[in-house]
Order: sequence, then structure tokens, then C-alpha cells
Amino acid sequence: MLKKYRLAYSLAWQRELEYRSTFLMERVRSLTLLVSFYFLWTTLLAGRASFLQYSLSQILTYAFGMHLLRALVLSSRSWEVISEINSGRLSAYLLRPISHLGYWITQDLADKTMNLISAVLEILVLVTVLRAMLYLPHRLVTYLAFGLAILGAMTIYFLLSYLASAAGFWTSESGGPRFCFELFLEFTAGAFFPIDILPRTIQALFYALPSPYLVFFPLNVWLERLPPQAIVQGLAMQVVWVAALAWLVKVVWRRGLRLYGAEGG
Amino acid sequence: MTAIEVVHLTKRFRVHQKAPGLRGAIRGFFHREYREVQAVEDLSFTIAPGELVGFIGPNGAGKTTTLKMLSGLLYPTAGRVTVLGYTPSDRQAAFQKQFTMVMGQRSQLWWDLPAWDSFLLNKEIYEVPDEAFRRMVQELSELLELEGLLDIPVKKLSLGQRMKAELACSLLHHPQVLFLDEPTLGLDVVMQHKIRQFITAYNRTHRATILLTSHNMDDVAELCERVIIIDHGHLLYDGRLTELVSRYAPHKLISVDFHAPINTEALAALGRLVTANGLRAQLEVPRAEVSACASTLLGRFPVADLSIEEPPIERVIRSIFTHQPVPPSHAQEISSGL
Repeated sequence: MLKKYRLAYSLAWQRELEYRSTFLMERVRSLTLLVSFYFLWTTLLAGRASFLQYSLSQILTYAFGMHLLRALVLSSRSWEVISEINSGRLSAYLLRPISHLGYWITQDLADKTMNLISAVLEILVLVTVLRAMLYLPHRLVTYLAFGLAILGAMTIYFLLSYLASAAGFWTSESGGPRFCFELFLEFTAGAFFPIDILPRTIQALFYALPSPYLVFFPLNVWLERLPPQAIVQGLAMQVVWVAALAWLVKVVWRRGLRLYGAEGG
Repeated sequence: MTAIEVVHLTKRFRVHQKAPGLRGAIRGFFHREYREVQAVEDLSFTIAPGELVGFIGPNGAGKTTTLKMLSGLLYPTAGRVTVLGYTPSDRQAAFQKQFTMVMGQRSQLWWDLPAWDSFLLNKEIYEVPDEAFRRMVQELSELLELEGLLDIPVKKLSLGQRMKAELACSLLHHPQVLFLDEPTLGLDVVMQHKIRQFITAYNRTHRATILLTSHNMDDVAELCERVIIIDHGHLLYDGRLTELVSRYAPHKLISVDFHAPINTEALAALGRLVTANGLRAQLEVPRAEVSACASTLLGRFPVADLSIEEPPIERVIRSIFTHQPVPPSHAQEISSGL
């Protein structure tokens, strides 16, 4: 039963390897962001012990962690779903006994695995070259909590992306929604800078969204800046968001499929 | 026992209407206007297991929309569809394992990878056992001459090669019902012929039920005993192809070659004279009078050669859509599809 998804995962890898230049360009983009953030923060913290309650090693770890989480959480091939709906390519899945959602989980996982391997190598090289002092958690339980937070973040992002792709059932404009959604999500997720350096009212507003649980929350777990109670609360909020988004995906896709025109062909 | 049952099927779409020009685009940005399009209207028919039926109509007649409802891609607005006892829009795996839909302009093959990879994926998706998969690949490779094509990335294949790989990939799970939408679209005549041969062979070997749409009347004439004709979503005809010709084309064409020049006036008394060109003539004669006319010609004229022809099926069907009588002359025939 699961064999088809394993094979779809493997085929996605093969396809990714066919498009080496696209993959490399994506990595260069991500690496450029990392290097610019590294120099921004080292300049800002020059001659200071801390900045907005972040020590140098903590803020650099945040920057390197952002690089890792961009690869692991914020990377998604499932954005292609919107054009699949618009072009009618979705039909190929609807005709066959395979879950479209399950299929796209395999495609996203393949994408994330490749990005993760690349990101880890890049971080190792940069840490060695720049001799950056990174923050490593002192408590063993932090690693477990971080792992759970990453899992929650990946699931939330996938569901958000799959949900947003359902816009294809109602509009044929795929570029605009994606660009807007991605930028807003990265900003509110803390994928450019930690969101607790922003005014409190804006922070509170962001916390009403699922995005802080994608990057900011997992990295704060890693940096051991949260008390145990806040970690448990954060993980619980991730579960709530996963449940809410899964329900929304089900409802929206069910309605969307009734409108689906299976264009082309 | 029926394989496919369509009862009072209706499908309407809501489509966005845009006025022409920039002004229309700006107005559409603020205020969208929609209109309802009726794609299929009160359509009913049944198909028995093992039948190979041609489903024809001009562009926009509702053929593909009907096929999409039969395969579960679209939900009917009204009416009922059952295929092998299932309601297609429920998209049950047990149903999906028993049918396939091949769309000439759509592919399920992975574009960047060899077709073989898509074959393996379909094997897992349809849970085809190893031995059955091996046998089916062998059979399809022989029927479709696939040797050497399956290891090449799909994007490098020609249109004809891709269509053959597409057909094979769609049949690996041994489907009992096939919906073929324009299976010969864009193919050269040799490849069209091969695909047609394959469809006939598959229908006979596997007793599969096949519903085929095509604008290529050679496909229909060569493959289908029965045709269902629709236009503007309405059923126009459902019956044998031969009956269609006799019902809608009341005349036959007699072509005669003579040894010596003849009196064309005497010839015109036998039927409507279409052409008279020296030693050659063509006469349009009512069906019931064809035998009598032929024997008169042979008895009273210096006939060297005589042939009796049905009007081409393409011309008959075109006359149904245009509500015009079947034109008699070959000279008026347009060689393209409907």
C-alpha cells in the first residue's frame, strides 16, 4: 500500500537530480540570505554582549537555524498544485487510486531531504570558514522538543501550502497568491529576523497566526529561551493548528473538487 | 447487464465572461460577470460489456465533458451515471482499478523520466502483481512495438511514440472499461492505423468496453459498429453506423466508365446526373432504385466499369450537424475532420 508513495518519493529524487541547475540556484539564493544575515548580526553586535536579549552566539545560531529551517520547513514543491488545478493536470491523480495529498507529501519530503542535505553541508562549511560560535542546547530534552517542533512546523507549512493551492479551484491566477503568501508567511514566521524584536502589539498579532510556529518557535526551543511551560504550550498550539488546517484542507478541497473543471484534454 | 449507464445526464458550467478590450478587463477586475453554459443536456444511453462505441460530435458538443463525468472527474449537475455498477464521482479505488481514461492531450507519464518509471509507478498505484505486470508489459510491447522506447526520457519521444507509451501505461492494470478521448490526435496516418489496430485487438482479447471520441472519421468507421452522436449536449443518434448512413443518406452514388461516348440525356433519365465527363459519369440514385438502375446501365449502355458507393461517413455526419442533406459530389468534400 505504501509502496506507491515510496516509489513516488524516489521518482521525485530522480527528477530533482535532472534539474541540477534549478536546485543549485535555489541553494545560492538561500546561502546569500544566510551570509547577509551573518554579517548584519556580527556588525550589529560588534562590541556588545547582547542585542535585544540575544547573545552573539544565540543570534548567529538563529541565522544559521533560519537557513536550516528554510530548507526543512519553508521549502515546498506543493506550490505546483495550484498550476496543476488550473491546467487540468490534477485529473491524472483523480483518475487513479492514489491520494493526491499523500502523493504531494512524498514530493515535498523528497524536496526537503535534498535541501536539508545541502543546507547542512553549507552550514558546516560556513561555520568552519567563519569560525562562528553556535549555541548548542545544554539539556537533552531540548533536542527532543526541537525535533517535535520541527515535525509540527513541517506539517503546518505543508497544510498551509496545500490549502493555499486550492485557490486554483476559484482563480486561474497562480503567481500572485503564491508570492504574497510566501513573503507574508516568511516575515511572520521569523524567517528574516526573530519576531520578538518587533513591538509587542505586532508580536501579539503574529501569534494569532500559525506562522510563528514554523521558524521562530522551533529556534527558540533550540536556543533554550523558553521555559518548559511555554514549550509545551507551543507544541500544543502546533497540534491545534495542524488539526484546524487539516479540517480546512478537507472542507476546502471537497468544495473545490466539485467546482473543478478538469480543463484541457 | 450494462457496463455503462447514463440517465438524464446534465452538466452546466458557470463561466467568467469578459468584455473585449482594456475597458472590459478593468470592468471585469471590479465586477465579474458570469454566464451559465450548458455542456450536456438530458443525455441517456447504455453500453453493454465488450462493446466498442464511437462517441462523436462537433467541437463543444459535450463529448469530453461526458467522458469526464463517466470517469469521475466532474460531478453531474443532474442525472445519474453508473460505470460497472459504481458512481464514478465517488472515486472509489475498486472502481478506479477497473477503468482507464486516455486523453490525447493529457499525459500521466513523468515528462523528465523514462516511461518505464511511470510504468513502475502505475504498477504500484494499481497494485498489479509482478507476474501480471510482466505479462501485460510483454503483450503491450508487442502490440504497440514499444521496444527501445521505454528507457528514453518521455520528453525526448515523438508525439506518436509518446501516445503509444501513454496507452500502454494506462492499460497496465488490465482495465475493463476504456474511455479514449481523441487517441489518434496529431498522429500521422501510419501511427493512426497502428493505434486503431491496437484498440481492436485489446477490445477482442480482453472483452473490454470501449467508448471512444474522435474527430477522425476513419477511427470511427474502422473501429465502431455503434455510434452515439451528440450536438450541443443533446443526443442526436444512437445506433449502428450502417443504419446511420442509410437513414441520413437516402441516395447512393453510381460511377460508370463507358467504352464509347454516350447520350447524357438518356443517362439523366435514370437519376440525378452529378458529373458527365466524356467517357465517365456519376449518378445519384435513391437507395431503393440502385439495383434496377445498375442493371439498366449494364443492359443499355456500353459499360466498361461500374461501381456503387455509399457517401463517405464523414459527409453523412457533417450533414447531420448542419441539418443539410448529404451533398452528393466528391468534389464538395472537405478532407479535414468534422
